[in-house]
Amino acid sequence: VRWTKEGRTRFVSARDQSSIWERAIRRADLPIAYSEGFTPHARVSFPDALPVGVASTGEYAELTFAAPIRADDALARLSATLPEGMDILTYTEVPAGAPKLASLLRATLWELVWPPVDATALTTLLEQRCDTLLAATTHEVVRHRHDGDRTLDVRPAVVSLAVATGPTPDGSGARTTLRAVLRNDAPTIRPADLLVALGDGEVAPPTLVRRVAQGVPTDEVLAEALTGVGRDGRDDIVAEAA
Amino acid sequence: VQDLEQWPYPQRQIVPMTETVHERFSVEIFRGCTRGCRFCQAGMITRPVRERRPETVQRLVEEGVADTGFEEVGLLSLSSADHSAIGPIARSLGDTYEGTVTSLSLPSTRVDAFNVTLSNELTRNGRRSGLTFAPEAGSERMRAVINKMVSEEDLLRTAEVAFSQGWRHIKLYFMVGLPTETDEDVLAIADLGIAVYRIARAHGKANKVTLSVGGFVPKPHTPFQWAAQDTPEEIRRKLGADPPADPHPRRHPLRTNDPEEGVIEGLLARGDRRVADAVERAWRLGARFDGWHEVRRSTCGAARWTRPASRSPGTRSASATRTRRSRGTTSTAGSRRAGCGRTGRRRGPPCSSTTAAGPPATTAACAPASTSSTTPATSPVRCCPSSRPPPPTSAARRTPPCRRAPSATRPPRPQHPEVAR
Repeated sequence: VRWTKEGRTRFVSARDQSSIWERAIRRADLPIAYSEGFTPHARVSFPDALPVGVASTGEYAELTFAAPIRADDALARLSATLPEGMDILTYTEVPAGAPKLASLLRATLWELVWPPVDATALTTLLEQRCDTLLAATTHEVVRHRHDGDRTLDVRPAVVSLAVATGPTPDGSGARTTLRAVLRNDAPTIRPADLLVALGDGEVAPPTLVRRVAQGVPTDEVLAEALTGVGRDGRDDIVAEAA
Repeated sequence: VQDLEQWPYPQRQIVPMTETVHERFSVEIFRGCTRGCRFCQAGMITRPVRERRPETVQRLVEEGVADTGFEEVGLLSLSSADHSAIGPIARSLGDTYEGTVTSLSLPSTRVDAFNVTLSNELTRNGRRSGLTFAPEAGSERMRAVINKMVSEEDLLRTAEVAFSQGWRHIKLYFMVGLPTETDEDVLAIADLGIAVYRIARAHGKANKVTLSVGGFVPKPHTPFQWAAQDTPEEIRRKLGADPPADPHPRRHPLRTNDPEEGVIEGLLARGDRRVADAVERAWRLGARFDGWHEVRRSTCGAARWTRPASRSPGTRSASATRTRRSRGTTSTAGSRRAGCGRTGRRRGPPCSSTTAAGPPATTAACAPASTSSTTPATSPVRCCPSSRPPPPTSAARRTPPCRRAPSATRPPRPQHPEVAR
């Protein structure tokens, strides 16, 4: 399934996320399969943990059921029992032994939104920085972590970068948005690393970071994993990312 | 509430989105307690016993689990194993959830073999890890004083049954500092713990026994409400000095609380409305989440609660314009109102006497009779007799019915041949 982590649920940690899903599945009364062992857990797996605070319309989960279900009905019920902000968008039924979901999620479309302050100037600055980054063959940044600093090359992960000035949702001002398609291949580059590469300390932090969708990178385009594979037509995400 | 059946039970309980304590569907199976433990405030103030019917409990659990999705159910009350139909309740719920991932728990203070049978019913899915019993005191005499009528024979038989039926860990709860307690009573805790430990080891080398010993804090509305509370120093002496700093906690199956926290607990438990001033002052001095050991690892910050109030010139001149009499004296309603101000809330340094020219009172002096005045030198919680002479009624109350004679010199810590090793 592809699902969202919007609103306040974006502050839920990956660890708490599992129990939220397990309980929602029990509330929806779905015949989920359980792992064997001393402490059985529902067979729900999430391929890639989202940093706490980041919103998403591109979360994925793989659910294994112990009995056949009518997926339409069952997943609608599950979507309803999940907390507000977590909704199931789409799904694909796969037989046991199908390729791992993670193998379909090879790149991510990220969206970074800034507050409506000096949007034109910020957009111009970011455009210059994006051009510089795309023109380079390598661009190293240092990631500070509690267990020490790590130097990463951001450039290989970058598929495309697009900066735009658009209206705020209420139409009262203008704000800058950056959309970036990044490969998920190791080493994983997060939006925070990208911001270090682009901002160089001069760009204010964005108000919101969102993982829009994941899928397979095509020429500067992302084919969404579930709608781009095994289904007719393409998600509007594909067009958006172009 | 006369009849719990008539009281609408909160069915759609909050399901936290982030991990919390007590994360389970709780069903209150009865209110009140059939026992009359003399230290227990909850048992005293929730009388009489009012039970929910077994069918109601079963229905509440089934609906609650379906509504919340919780994987654990807690059957709550002050002593859940004492519900008159707890056997049928446990059997019926055991039948319902056998073979599922839903687990059932039953916090209980009952010390007998029946409790083990019950716990077996509730753990048919296989998780038999730990059982907790609360004998509360080590010696028969001490248990008679607190009216916790558990014999040593009962406890040892219970341990025998529990370990022979696959339970691996027994936790025992005790208190020190109970009224009339002697060092022999304290040492009896160790004796009992060792006796249970021998039974544990006889059934398996990995079996464990944990003794959890807390300092007694007298509570209002109980027969012990005027009893003296041991000072932290005295509790540390009884527990054998500071908690062990041993990297292998298995070798020290003794769990204790910070005795300084008991001082604050006693202050909050027995103080009256004037404690609000002490709370405010502790907060101004930086008290935040003092009981949260996740946040504050070292101490509970008892110093903030017991530090003498200082008088800054600014506040004194401000308060000197009012005629205020220290509370707790035999003031009239009129003068009290004048001291409270229009909103009834006090301003300025709490508890400092502005009418008497005595030394500043302590913050903790807001709580009368927290600790006996017979230990003025060592007790951080004390009344301030020089600035606020106690009224006759409260002086009479300050003589607890069961207070030990104060010792002039500190006696050595109790030595137990097997503990001392």
